[in-house]
Amino acid sequence: MGSLFLLGFIVFWDTARTELPAFNLTVSPKVFPYLIAALLMSLSAILAIQILRGGTATPEGLEPGDPILKSDYKTFCLVLGSLLAYLLLIERAGFVIAASVTFFGVTVAFDNKKHFRAAIFGTLFITFIYFSFTRFLNVPLPAGIFKDLL
Amino acid sequence: MSSFDSLIDGFASALTLNNLGFGLLGTFLGTLVGVLPGIGPALAIALLLPITYTVSPASALIMFAAIYYGAMYGGSTTSILLNTPGESGSVITALEGNKMARRGRAGAALATAAIGSFVAGTIATAILAFTAPSIADLAIQVGAADYVALMLVAFTTVSSLLGASQIRGFIALSVGLVLGLIGADLQSGLSRLTFGNQAAVEGIETVPVIVSIFALGEALYIASRFKELGWNIIPMKGKALMSRDDWKRSWKPWLRGTALGFPLGVIPAGGSEVPTFLSYSVEKKLSKHPEEFGHGAIEGVAGPEAANNANAAGALVPLLALGLPTSATAAVILVAFQTYQIQPGPTLFLTNGALIWTLIASLFIGNALLLILNLPLVRLWVQLLKIPRPYLFAGIVTFAMLGAYALNASTFDVQVAIAIGIVGFLFRRFGMPITPLILGLILGPNLELQFRRALQISAGDYGTLWASPLSKVLYTVLIIALFTPVIAKVMKKVRKDAHA
Repeated sequence: MGSLFLLGFIVFWDTARTELPAFNLTVSPKVFPYLIAALLMSLSAILAIQILRGGTATPEGLEPGDPILKSDYKTFCLVLGSLLAYLLLIERAGFVIAASVTFFGVTVAFDNKKHFRAAIFGTLFITFIYFSFTRFLNVPLPAGIFKDLL
Repeated sequence: MSSFDSLIDGFASALTLNNLGFGLLGTFLGTLVGVLPGIGPALAIALLLPITYTVSPASALIMFAAIYYGAMYGGSTTSILLNTPGESGSVITALEGNKMARRGRAGAALATAAIGSFVAGTIATAILAFTAPSIADLAIQVGAADYVALMLVAFTTVSSLLGASQIRGFIALSVGLVLGLIGADLQSGLSRLTFGNQAAVEGIETVPVIVSIFALGEALYIASRFKELGWNIIPMKGKALMSRDDWKRSWKPWLRGTALGFPLGVIPAGGSEVPTFLSYSVEKKLSKHPEEFGHGAIEGVAGPEAANNANAAGALVPLLALGLPTSATAAVILVAFQTYQIQPGPTLFLTNGALIWTLIASLFIGNALLLILNLPLVRLWVQLLKIPRPYLFAGIVTFAMLGAYALNASTFDVQVAIAIGIVGFLFRRFGMPITPLILGLILGPNLELQFRRALQISAGDYGTLWASPLSKVLYTVLIIALFTPVIAKVMKKVRKDAHA
């Protein structure tokens, strides 16, 4: 909630600090950002009041009043980590490795016991996807370290 | 040339072997992705966008239309057998359909959903074919200021009607608007919110945002609540057939659902949530067996399913005729059009007439294919529900990442995708609806463009924004939409106090 106000403030600040280009426009490119910033900041203020008066958020899929369990951060971080691994690996090691690591990471996060099977299946699946995209659909994907092989 | 002749030409072009093949592939992929739990039509199309980067516009649009309808057919299967609706439109289906499945009537529930979708889809597509061109003709006279009003109305209704809290809807919208601001301003070239990042100057790509807000956001959210979620497939016995009595009880709800769904799709009423819910309550009121509702009444599946499909076809009217999406799925299709540099709107029928009529014809064909694909093959789709959950999410996540990277071969898009995934998670955790964000992102830049255009014509006079009769009507609607939930709340409270 505070972060929403911050977002509004950032938009406001960025708009205020940029200098206008020299040509003459009827509506400056700053009008819209200012409006949106104002909207965001006032909305977050209203939300803050609502929350203080007891209107807390209901997570998706629950009914108001359902008990909210503590979030499972271990699983969450594993999934997030797998995503970051993809970001780091995609251009360095290529799509096949990056995506296989992500695939495997997510299966581990979701409590799959058979790690070996998941790794083999994931790699085969990703390799299949790689070939169907690059060869049949002509969507280029980085080959990475297998550049000479594939 | 009349609409009818154009439509016949459209059929001729849609029935070529090549286009028919893409239609078939689309219905297949759409059903496949729709059946997978947690993936609704919007995400299904967004996930499959990369596939179409390399094919011709006609084939790609045919495939999208097929995916669009296919994902809805598939989604109802999941709702009925697994009680996990993939999108807001099938929530109601899950309500009665899952109860029917528990009572061993899964086959009848699936059949009434599929046939109802077919009936509603066909009728609604026919109305679409004969109304969209005339609406487009009218819309050519709509000026920039009216467009501003129209978009503001769409923003307001979508933000107000979705989700539990109006304020959260508007916050979601604003976040989308902020994302839409990022990049160089179209008119002046001024860089906004880029913070010196070169890759950001070109703006945020909409496809990675849509894919990650749904797919990554969902995966992260499910991960965070991993321990509390159950997973319970109800086995399907027998064939997907309906008895004579089922038919008798289904056909009226199908037609009523269509009648409710189509008009509510045409006006920006916030997607399929409202019409399906309305259809459900109408059927409950009119039913001869009201006691069965809540325990698996077939009318409660037939009506909302028909409403859902008719609604989807209805949403194509403002999309094609005005370039105005009224639901998350329509917004994704708009992006698909834009990938091909085609801007839906009043002139679409003139500039790309042949293409659009091919698309409309392929909607009819797709609908028929889906009925054939779904009824006898339903067992095959049910098998898909047995994919272990870790593999399912791993597949969804890797596909989303593939799409994020493949679009521009840039790691910046992947960074954006991950960041948006986290936003999607936070939105789910704190009860914010997703659709307003997507509308804000896609329509925001368009709104700014029309806003400036209007003011340029009037030489800076802001009065022009509400000068025309149409805009006056639209702003009245906007004010009503804005205050209806508030008034309803107050009324409820007053009534409660009066009783106490």
